[in-house]
Amino acid sequence: MQAREFKALPDQPAPLSTTGPIAWVKDNLFSSVFNIAVTVIITSALISILPGVLDWLIFSANWSGTSQADCVKDGACWVFIQAWSQQIFYGSYPDGEIWRVNLSLMLLAGVIALSFTLPARLRNKIAVPAYLLLPFVCLLFLDGSNIGLTPVSTDLWGGFSLNVLIAAASIIIAFPFGFLWALGRQSDMPFARSVSVTCIEFFRGTPILALFFMGSVMLPLFFPSDVTVDKLLRVWIILVLFMSSYMAEVFRSGFQAIPQGQYEAANSIGLGYWQKTLLIIFPQVIKIAMPNILATFVMVFKNTVFLLVIAVPEMLQVIMSALSNSNWLGGHAVEGYLFVGFIFWICCFSMSLLATSIEKKLDTSHQN
Amino acid sequence: MFSSKTTEQVKLETRPSISGSTKFYNNPIYRGWIYQSLLMVFLIGFFYTIISNTLDNMSAQGIKSGFSFLGTSAGFDVLMSLLPFETTDSYLKIFTIGILNTVLVSIVGIILATILGFIFGIAYFSHNYLIRKISIIYVEVFRNIPVILQVIFWYTVFNLLPIARESINIGDAIYLNVTGLYIPKLVDESGSGFVYSALIVAIIGVYLLKRWAKKRQEQTGEQFPILRTSVALLIGIPLLALLFSGVPFHFDYPSLDRFNFKGGTTIIPEFIALAFALSIYTGAFIAEAVRAGIQSVPKGQTEAARSVGLKESKIMSLIIVPQSMRVITPMLNSEYQSLVKNTTIATAIGYPELFTVFAGSALNQVGQAVEIMFMTLVIYFAINMVISFVMNRFNKRAEITSR
Repeated sequence: MQAREFKALPDQPAPLSTTGPIAWVKDNLFSSVFNIAVTVIITSALISILPGVLDWLIFSANWSGTSQADCVKDGACWVFIQAWSQQIFYGSYPDGEIWRVNLSLMLLAGVIALSFTLPARLRNKIAVPAYLLLPFVCLLFLDGSNIGLTPVSTDLWGGFSLNVLIAAASIIIAFPFGFLWALGRQSDMPFARSVSVTCIEFFRGTPILALFFMGSVMLPLFFPSDVTVDKLLRVWIILVLFMSSYMAEVFRSGFQAIPQGQYEAANSIGLGYWQKTLLIIFPQVIKIAMPNILATFVMVFKNTVFLLVIAVPEMLQVIMSALSNSNWLGGHAVEGYLFVGFIFWICCFSMSLLATSIEKKLDTSHQN
Repeated sequence: MFSSKTTEQVKLETRPSISGSTKFYNNPIYRGWIYQSLLMVFLIGFFYTIISNTLDNMSAQGIKSGFSFLGTSAGFDVLMSLLPFETTDSYLKIFTIGILNTVLVSIVGIILATILGFIFGIAYFSHNYLIRKISIIYVEVFRNIPVILQVIFWYTVFNLLPIARESINIGDAIYLNVTGLYIPKLVDESGSGFVYSALIVAIIGVYLLKRWAKKRQEQTGEQFPILRTSVALLIGIPLLALLFSGVPFHFDYPSLDRFNFKGGTTIIPEFIALAFALSIYTGAFIAEAVRAGIQSVPKGQTEAARSVGLKESKIMSLIIVPQSMRVITPMLNSEYQSLVKNTTIATAIGYPELFTVFAGSALNQVGQAVEIMFMTLVIYFAINMVISFVMNRFNKRAEITSR
């Protein structure tokens, strides 16, 4: 007797009530009485607020012109931002010399691009020295007095480029310091360990603003009376120390994530301490710690705005002095602050997206 | 004849490190001591230079040292003070007022940030699409904008409010205008102590009831309507005492004088802007921590809870949140500490907390940077140690207890 051949019935489409836009709307917007109420309330709030906001921001905003008199419509006065755009991005840096700021920014972008595109064999040999040299090369160009360009006093540096450059310069120099402190914190030498812990905890526990204040009122006392240290240089020292403490903790969590077997394997093939640390552990730590390094960079980048308290002309400080300019007393504070907030938001948000994507790429665990 | 060396002997000859001829600087123990003494010498030299330079500079600039300035009269006014204050009061009083203002704004900020953070962190898992999106937008917008900009922004927005005569009036009791928020003040009359003690009795009663109900549930499995009873106790007992003693309170309402409001409690705009910005900013970070904490709880926990028939609302509060607390608490600890450190940005808008009045105004007048910065930093470290201590105690309870 021959068995009848099994024939599967053709697939039925999923019932309309579980797929498609209607089901989605039902599930996500109107699944219960409470959800219906919430949806109605939020939608009506959006409908009542959004048109006014958009109108003020875009449709009745003043987009073109050169002076306050051009702001005739009811909306935001973006002319204010346009008129001050050079100061907002470059501070009072002299007109003819702005290429030097641009060059520094491009060098920064170039080194970052280099470190991602170089083949792995060359990466550590070229990118690491390039990073470490970068702040000093930028310094030479921006200052100009040592390489035969017109000297530009640091009082004139400012604007958004200052925020970017000082944050980058701080985190680059904080890298080796933070790494040393992290090594010190987990070393077997008791004195070295306690010095590292003290440094890390002091600079992590102190408000950054208090550190900036100390940089402006206490650091000058520490130097011999005939030495005057530039204000921006003091800020840089403070930021480097502050960052180093945070980077040290980032590295420490990286060290903890390295399996003990890596140390043992390095020992077993007879590598010395520095060979083991720099050739085996460091590359793995960098990889693991990358999202946290980015998060720390975002933090220091946001903290550069705090410099306005000690009157360093960073972006927000420039906006605030523009607001008190006698030609622009029409109350453009909201526009100015929204603009600064928008620029910072774009930068920080894209960096946090990058951090998340790196984190996802590195996540080889099979939990999810 | 062939030489008759054993392999051990060959090893000894070719590998001198195994024999006794090790150089002493190749011994890790000695090496450690050498490194550490070099570090010590460097640090001693460093601090010696710094201290001698500082002393030289201070004597050259005529700055005194020591803490005797604390007793002298400050001669400037502070905007807001929890203690009675006159301009003739000492710097020590300024210091105390600064600490109190810092603690006040920190506590208000921590409470509001925690509430905001938990609401938006849990909202991320809502069934409603709009709520989910609002939670994401809140977190991503506010944690990516520098907090000092947020403070200045809200302060500017506050300054756009109407003047005193055109105040926003809420039920003839609360007024909001450009000079601040005016709320009625509760004034005690004689006999108010009775009501307060009734309130304390109610709180102790709720605590005991909770312990008893938990014990009973563990032993018998029977549940007790704890929330309803507690609310009834907390409202009922003080209310009874209030009626029994003939309402020994009255409200002091703010009223419009010629230029501004008199009476009631005034909350200055600087405080509102600072507390608002700090709680929104820190709240975004806490929401992120709460989200990460909830995601760290395995999905099986939710499924198990559903399978034993718990309601959806109970699953969150009884199963998920308690387990996520051991991920959330350490992050809360660092967020609270950074909130306290961030109160220093008050100096950008002039709220008189410790940093503004002491490291700012007082330092300007006295000039003794070392002493003043030292005192200020000690306070911040102390506050953060208290937070750390409390949160670690809390964390001990949230950790996995193995039986």
